[in-house]
Amino acid sequence: MNWAKIRLERRDEVTWAWRLFCFLVAILGTLLVTGILISTAGKEPIEAFKELFIGAFVGIDSIVETLVRATPLILTGLAAVVAFRAKIWSIGQEGQLVLGAIAAYWASIVFEGLPRIIVLSGVICLGFVGGALLGVFCGWLKARYRVDEIISTVMFNYAIFYLLTYLLSGPWQPPGDFYVQSAPVIEKALLPNLLQDTRLHGGLFIAIVVAIIVYILIKRTALGYEIRAFGSNPIASSFKGIKPTRMLVVVMLISGGIAGLAGTSELLGVHGRLNTDIAAGAGYTGIIVALIGGLTPLGTVIAAVLFGAMVNGGFMMQVITGVPKSMVFAMQAITLLFFLCSTLMSQYRIKRVTEDV
Amino acid sequence: MSEFFTETIVISILAAMVRIGAPLILAAIGELIAERAGVINLGVEGMMLMGCFLGFFVTFETGSILAGIGAAMVGAMLMSLIMAFMAITLRLEQFVTGLALNLLASGLTLFWFRSLLKTIGSTQPNIDLLEKAPIPFLSDIPYLGIIVFSHNWLVYLAILSVPICSFFLYKTKYGLELRCLGENPRAIDMKGLSVAKRQYLAVLFGGMMAGLAGAFISVGSSIRFVPEMTAGRGWLAIVIVIAGNWQPKWILVAALVFAFLEAFQMHVQAVGINFPYQILLALPYVVAVIALMHRRARSRAPASLGVAYSRSS
Repeated sequence: MNWAKIRLERRDEVTWAWRLFCFLVAILGTLLVTGILISTAGKEPIEAFKELFIGAFVGIDSIVETLVRATPLILTGLAAVVAFRAKIWSIGQEGQLVLGAIAAYWASIVFEGLPRIIVLSGVICLGFVGGALLGVFCGWLKARYRVDEIISTVMFNYAIFYLLTYLLSGPWQPPGDFYVQSAPVIEKALLPNLLQDTRLHGGLFIAIVVAIIVYILIKRTALGYEIRAFGSNPIASSFKGIKPTRMLVVVMLISGGIAGLAGTSELLGVHGRLNTDIAAGAGYTGIIVALIGGLTPLGTVIAAVLFGAMVNGGFMMQVITGVPKSMVFAMQAITLLFFLCSTLMSQYRIKRVTEDV
Repeated sequence: MSEFFTETIVISILAAMVRIGAPLILAAIGELIAERAGVINLGVEGMMLMGCFLGFFVTFETGSILAGIGAAMVGAMLMSLIMAFMAITLRLEQFVTGLALNLLASGLTLFWFRSLLKTIGSTQPNIDLLEKAPIPFLSDIPYLGIIVFSHNWLVYLAILSVPICSFFLYKTKYGLELRCLGENPRAIDMKGLSVAKRQYLAVLFGGMMAGLAGAFISVGSSIRFVPEMTAGRGWLAIVIVIAGNWQPKWILVAALVFAFLEAFQMHVQAVGINFPYQILLALPYVVAVIALMHRRARSRAPASLGVAYSRSS
């Protein structure tokens, strides 16, 4: 057996053409593997991909819907960008999103009698706070008790989901209702539409604004510099006076808050009431989006739109070809796996080791 | 309250604890071996889910539970092969790879569930449960007989895996090598032994155990498959390894504690006590976080856990 008889050697220079080539190989690989999977279900892959594309991009309605699907992914992706840049491996975007939505819904009840502008800003602020609280708590657990953030954030993803189902089958369930969902959010708290007669809502505006803020934060501010320094070497950065505890709390506050906004935007822009589909995996998909976007805000927005397109196109694919839309989620994970390999491939060359080990 | 805690009820809760604990033990022992070899496999949840689906699907198609369990193990091992290739050969971030595998399993099982298992009318496809196999004589022991010795054979296998793993780790040459891998892979390399080969095998073993654990959750305890059926148990297995301080016997204890919480929750829900059961459902996950807070100062975590070995660095 040839165990690990290949070695990776870093390339001295990486040309753009080579990088593009690797990227194309990743896309081809994804399409190939996904195509094989579609065949396992006894369906025609080319046909499925065609409908996926049409459903995602052809016609103004499709494009609008793609953007609606991309909105939460932009936000959860940005949340992951902020955390991962500091090498804090938070995968709690899903739970933070849900807690953000819960907080926003609660705010919409509390602020009911106030003027619209106050209600709207209050609801959005609380949505941020909801997600941020959970983020900070996990950051604090890591700083104070060395609880691994990967584990704690995942555990709270599950715990918060049960909190949501409790609220929706108890306190917030309208009397006499059998569905696990809340009453509709008051009209005043709903996000305004951006384009008449479509589902395009103010959440996209929030997402773009947050993307710009995150860009400025990382690139142009002292805090952004600290985040990057902490991420590349926490020990060295501590000699520069960057305290790990403060970093953990601040980064998780921002990251959690942004994920909370994703929940707020879904609640007030898409669903209009709290239900168990509020997250629908957007937290986890956001992580893929951030990684494929190279942990940059611009890359994340682009990747989020592409992934939103996949989800949206999936509906058309399911209706026309009968391939279940859940295929899209498998496809997204496969994209990530190929993308990881292609990034590595673009930076290294593979060398066969000839000497006897 | 006295009626709530009669003898029969306590025994049935404890028996449920052992049954529910079995997949946790299987997955945690598999993860322990992988982590002792220095590879942190965060894809356990996905591998379990894959095993869970394949176990159900193949049993449904072939009518043979053994074939289902075999398929579950092979499927999860294939996933762990991807994990091993990306983590050991390509030396990619282990956390990201594990996460990608979870998402892959989540999407793929849902996709196959929707496309391969057609609902006939209003009836969901279902299978026969893995039969109980009470151990002769032992199952007649008062209390203990019902609690431990009256389950299906997968449960016994899970319990046996703990002493076997312990023996392997501490009493065999390969166990010593494996422990050394996680602490100081260079030493293994210097002796002229292959680091990659051992790590591959450890990760594949972890995958196999996760597949077995997943199969238990479908064919061993339910007649149906439900999307996301593993519901975080793979993650709990990872917590159990940490809470058990990377030692088989404490892993057994930790697994049983989590299993008890779930058994208790199921009982409360079944009795219909007026208490929001969702809070009890969330309890294991909160307890998991608390369990990690009280980590001893002397952690037995392998020193080079999660760090890919490279000869040149």
